[in-house]
Amino acid sequence: MPAFVLHRRAYSNHSLLVELFTPDQGRFPAIARGIMKRKRQGSGVLQSFLPVLVRCSGRGEVRNLNEFESAGNTVVALQGRALYCGFYLNELLIRLLPRDDPHQQLFQVYGETLNALVDSGDIELVLRRFEVRFLEALGFGLILDRDTEMGEPLKANQLYDYPVEHGPVATPDGFILGSTLLALGGDFSLDSQGLRQARTLTRRVLAHYLGGRPLKSRELFRSR
Amino acid sequence: MPEAPLLDQLMEALRCLPGVGPKSAQRMAFHLLERDRVGGRRLAAVLDRAMEHIGHCKRCRTFTERELCALCANPKRDSSLLCVVETPAEVVAIEQSAIYSGRYFVLGGRLSPLDGIGPQEIGLDRLEPLLADGEVKELILATNPTVEGEATAHYIGELARPKGVQVTRIAHGVPLGGELEYVDGGTLSHAFSGRREY
Repeated sequence: MPAFVLHRRAYSNHSLLVELFTPDQGRFPAIARGIMKRKRQGSGVLQSFLPVLVRCSGRGEVRNLNEFESAGNTVVALQGRALYCGFYLNELLIRLLPRDDPHQQLFQVYGETLNALVDSGDIELVLRRFEVRFLEALGFGLILDRDTEMGEPLKANQLYDYPVEHGPVATPDGFILGSTLLALGGDFSLDSQGLRQARTLTRRVLAHYLGGRPLKSRELFRSR
Repeated sequence: MPEAPLLDQLMEALRCLPGVGPKSAQRMAFHLLERDRVGGRRLAAVLDRAMEHIGHCKRCRTFTERELCALCANPKRDSSLLCVVETPAEVVAIEQSAIYSGRYFVLGGRLSPLDGIGPQEIGLDRLEPLLADGEVKELILATNPTVEGEATAHYIGELARPKGVQVTRIAHGVPLGGELEYVDGGTLSHAFSGRREY
């Protein structure tokens, strides 16, 4: 089955413990035994951000990774900032996605997002799109079409506030424009102001679900 | 609760070594007790001293019992070259090959946000002043070619460039005596994109 490696770490002398993300079985850990000893088909294939095909066995929490091969390119094409973004995606998945929950849609979105990070110059837009879809897949989807107080459709020029787990509320001192919300629910055509507003929104919402501990990967973007 | 017998404590303690399970620990304990008490005493004494006195080099963060490690203190080393590696073991590996005569900086890890390792944890706050004092002309990024290693290399590169330091990355490619047929695609593509005039 297709999979992405979200994280890996050394396990005993020659094995790797990998956190896999698959469409049918969701996220789960697996052990690749003896992989660091092999010369062929070694650990290079099991890297984050590379598509792989895997066969796992075992029913416990940690499976055995019996076979794997690369499904596509074998070079991590993410570089620099895009690579940091990749870590950010993986950290989101590991922190918020419950284990063993199938997420076919999200798997596809994740793959598309990685590709978009490689191709696109507009990283912010790619990330916002992922975040909105990600929240949707988790069942925390944003309300992006109506005012939850009045039940009216959103107006493009109106400012809104967005209490988490509630939805847009029209208020003169809101932080986000109706047009931004509509774009997030639709075609993602955002200008720089819209992108900033969208970032504030997804940050607030994600921070709520992440609880007190902030994301470590954000540190990489700082201090420059 | 009575304390566990000394023998059990010894075996339990030996298991802190990597790759030592209950069985090996038992074997080691019995060996020391039956055949090599002198060696055991020596081990205990040296271990105690080592744990007490070995710290990190002030400059390059590798292990040393002095303030500066032997490599940093050696005036014959070329101080305009600085090689960034992940672990002290890599310093040893490079030193054994005797190809490099500059200095090192040991990160003691790599950027890996998912393990909670950020720029602070790998001592980059100590690398910055080294780069800033102008002595270093070339910074060689010798972190491993894994995703985390690449991210680390990129981060340090960004840090160093504004300071006017030339930044280079070690080459990746086909191992010596290797055969192309058995080399994975990723390595091959690195080898090709990094090919040189011959």
